[in-house]
Amino acid sequence: MADDKWQAAVADTLTAGGVTVAAYVPDTRLQPILSRLAGNGICLRSLTREEECVGYAAGQRVAGQRPVVLMQSSGLGNALNAIGSLAVPYRLGLPLVVSMRGTLGEANPSQVPLGRAAGSLLATLGIQSFSVRDAAAAEQLTAGVMTLAFEAGECAALILEPELGGGREGS
Amino acid sequence: MAVKAAEVAAAIVGTYPAALCVSSLGTATSALRAASDDGPHFYLGAAMGSALAVAMGVAEAVPDRLVVALLGDGELLMGASTLWSVSAYRPGNLIAVVLSDGMYSITGGQELSSQPRFAAVAEALGGIAGTRVRTEPALRSALRDLGRPGLIEAELSERAWPGPSPFVDPAKVRLAFAANAAPDRQ
Repeated sequence: MADDKWQAAVADTLTAGGVTVAAYVPDTRLQPILSRLAGNGICLRSLTREEECVGYAAGQRVAGQRPVVLMQSSGLGNALNAIGSLAVPYRLGLPLVVSMRGTLGEANPSQVPLGRAAGSLLATLGIQSFSVRDAAAAEQLTAGVMTLAFEAGECAALILEPELGGGREGS
Repeated sequence: MAVKAAEVAAAIVGTYPAALCVSSLGTATSALRAASDDGPHFYLGAAMGSALAVAMGVAEAVPDRLVVALLGDGELLMGASTLWSVSAYRPGNLIAVVLSDGMYSITGGQELSSQPRFAAVAEALGGIAGTRVRTEPALRSALRDLGRPGLIEAELSERAWPGPSPFVDPAKVRLAFAANAAPDRQ
């Protein structure tokens, strides 16, 4: 059963934490978060590629704003160069929201290798990731990821696990 | 008249000394360092293909400042889809200047496989003013007069390494740029 409470909690916590702009590549499960952010008055930027989202957010961050990057896990591969050779070495502290594919319940074989590797890829770059599997934990984990990013200056990832549901079931 | 990368950067800094500049890895970063005497700009040391996206992010974050992206042609070819994003969102304080010499310089001087025709692409997309210049006076004129967002394809007539190392210290770059771009938000 799809339930968008966790998506509302993520969006509202990002808003309460002072996020100013959301750069993203579209995804079914992210859409309710984005709609809620827009309703909260947050600027949305639909960009062409996840790497571009990281670059755009890097520019926003170094100019004093609080951007968030949202992507599907399959897009993490596209984003790695910008994360590893821009966001991390310049210590730009970006919060990444990653909607998982390729793991529990995945029906598309082509999604599996990158989904399986997503956590390891982030960890190899020194980026901590935190999995949300239960809507009740969404607020706390989202707030914690933002603190790591905006206060400690470390990129950190919020992983939206398949157990949350939210729109991709049966696709 | 020979147009070198360092002269393109000098024309940018000379025309707009208060602009926030973003340079792509390699020649562009070296040229901007030379022209601005290591001014408080955002020099990328890697992340090829991301510099225009960074500049767009800065431009939208600081709408009351002019932002100039100094880009290699191979760099922009790798991140060309950002032109579509610039066309979509049209930040009116952004100018992109492309160092057009048809070559990947930092990787050893290999030729690009095609003519990118960035100015024509920008014009075709809509919402971006594009022009191609071959002389320094034409470049300075375009910097002053071209609509924004704008893209200036500066054709280099001489390939010369500007001088300073493109291997910048990210921590120093970030701190200096942040103090320049958003002194009240640090």
